[in-house]
Amino acid sequence: MKRLAAVIAAVLAVTAPGTPAWAHAQLMFADPAKDLTLTVAPAAVTLGFNERLRPDFTTIVVSDPARQRVAASPAVVDDKRVTLTLTGTWSNGTYTVAYRVVSVDGHTVQGSYPFTLADPNLPPAVPAPPSAAAAPASGGEDGGSNGPLIGVGAGTVLLAALGAGLYLSGRRRSSPQAGN
Amino acid sequence: MTLKPPSVSRRGLLTGGAAAGLGQVAAAAPATAATAADDTGTATVAFHGPRQAGVAQDPPAHAAFAAFTLAPGADRAALGRMMRLLTDDAARLTQGVPALGDTDATLAVLPARLTVTFGFGPGLYRAARLPSPVADLPKFSIDRLQSRWSGGDLLLQICADDPLTVAHTQRMMIKDARPFAAVRWVQQGFRRSPGVQSPEHTQRNVMGQLDGTANPRGGEIDPAVWNPDGSSTLVVRRVRAEMETWDKLSVTDKELAVGRRMESGAPLSGTLEHDRPDFAVLDETGLPKIPDFSHVTRARVEDPRLKILRRPYNYDGVPDASGVPDCGLIFAAYQRDIVEQFVPIQKRLAEKDLLNEWITPIGSAVFAVPPGCAEDGWIGEQVLA
Repeated sequence: MKRLAAVIAAVLAVTAPGTPAWAHAQLMFADPAKDLTLTVAPAAVTLGFNERLRPDFTTIVVSDPARQRVAASPAVVDDKRVTLTLTGTWSNGTYTVAYRVVSVDGHTVQGSYPFTLADPNLPPAVPAPPSAAAAPASGGEDGGSNGPLIGVGAGTVLLAALGAGLYLSGRRRSSPQAGN
Repeated sequence: MTLKPPSVSRRGLLTGGAAAGLGQVAAAAPATAATAADDTGTATVAFHGPRQAGVAQDPPAHAAFAAFTLAPGADRAALGRMMRLLTDDAARLTQGVPALGDTDATLAVLPARLTVTFGFGPGLYRAARLPSPVADLPKFSIDRLQSRWSGGDLLLQICADDPLTVAHTQRMMIKDARPFAAVRWVQQGFRRSPGVQSPEHTQRNVMGQLDGTANPRGGEIDPAVWNPDGSSTLVVRRVRAEMETWDKLSVTDKELAVGRRMESGAPLSGTLEHDRPDFAVLDETGLPKIPDFSHVTRARVEDPRLKILRRPYNYDGVPDASGVPDCGLIFAAYQRDIVEQFVPIQKRLAEKDLLNEWITPIGSAVFAVPPGCAEDGWIGEQVLA
């Protein structure tokens, strides 16, 4: 038990917010999860944050391997979650989910992550243009405002965190942290 | 002349307007310091003409907006007498000539591009038993209006490149208005002093934003600002800057709220200040480079006839004991028609504009701007004669 407690403590230390000076919105879970490879196209993308979202100030877009926006219904915000129901057609390859939300304190937080569709019933992926390769987890050229992206699936949060902990501990060091 | 970052320090912004007017007149070519200073003091703007002065000209460095409440019983005849008197004052003072009965005539001789622009509030038309061409703005959810900064039956917009000239003009004209009207509020504001920056530069406001980039320019001004009869309208809003929280933002946060780069004023979709904002441009993750909630997105007007001419002044009052500043913008906007041009923009901003987090409208007033007058005429004669 002692050992388990230590592991949990270590995982929490790794996945806890990166000590921002004040409360910014942070992505807590994503479905589909970051870097996941799916064999069936998702019907929707759901992102969960650590604070209430403001519908008018929440943007979520999914781009296909050719960097074209995947058609979707208007995003629906429910408290801390936003769901984008996807209506477009799919092809195999790497997709990018990008979000831009505004924290309760007015800070803009944006980020993105990739997932891959490998549906055996669809033609194989066309090689993506070089620049369309997996976008950085946080920050584009507008960067600097991104909270840490935690790529945990929408499962039992603790279990997922335990599983992802070691993986993340390697990534988070290289992931640029919000400087504000 | 390029503005380098060190020259826009906080200290520079806050003290820039307090410095005495030194440098060249807007219209004059750069000259030596001595002659430039002389020109700044003696420069004049014509008072008479089909349109009032103080609207289309580059705004001088200092301004006082003085609003009045008409005395009870002031009727159309009394208003006519008042406007004849005030017109005469303005016609003289703007040309560097003391007002009749000027008790400090020596202060009148350096007009420094002085303009006095008259505005008539809805109450003036009520008093004259005439239909008003302007009505108070609808209530906006973002408004926290204080009566001490709102409304007014008569407005004097007094602008000059020298604060002593503004002070003298304000005092003389209030003195002559007193038999007819009580002072309701006065808002004093400043821009950069003459010579600090070339006139074609868009000036920064106390929040550090380049303010007025999207203003109509050149030939765009006339169809946006003037009615065929030479009249216009003016909205004056006092907008408090919430500096305590604004200061906590990173430059990137500020840029995403405004939709423009803080340093260059360029839209986030472009590279130069006057690049046309392109709201369809996406970043490499697929997000619009200019957020849909940014000030630029929400305030944008493409039809030149529907633009408004912003003529804003900064204000910087006395901080409270804990050091919280009392500053913001005296947002003065001229347009042909308030309902057609101003209200739709303000509505969009009230509905959704991230910048609302850091700005609070605390005063609001609307005025009709009557046409100008000939040398033997007076401002308001078309309405009150």
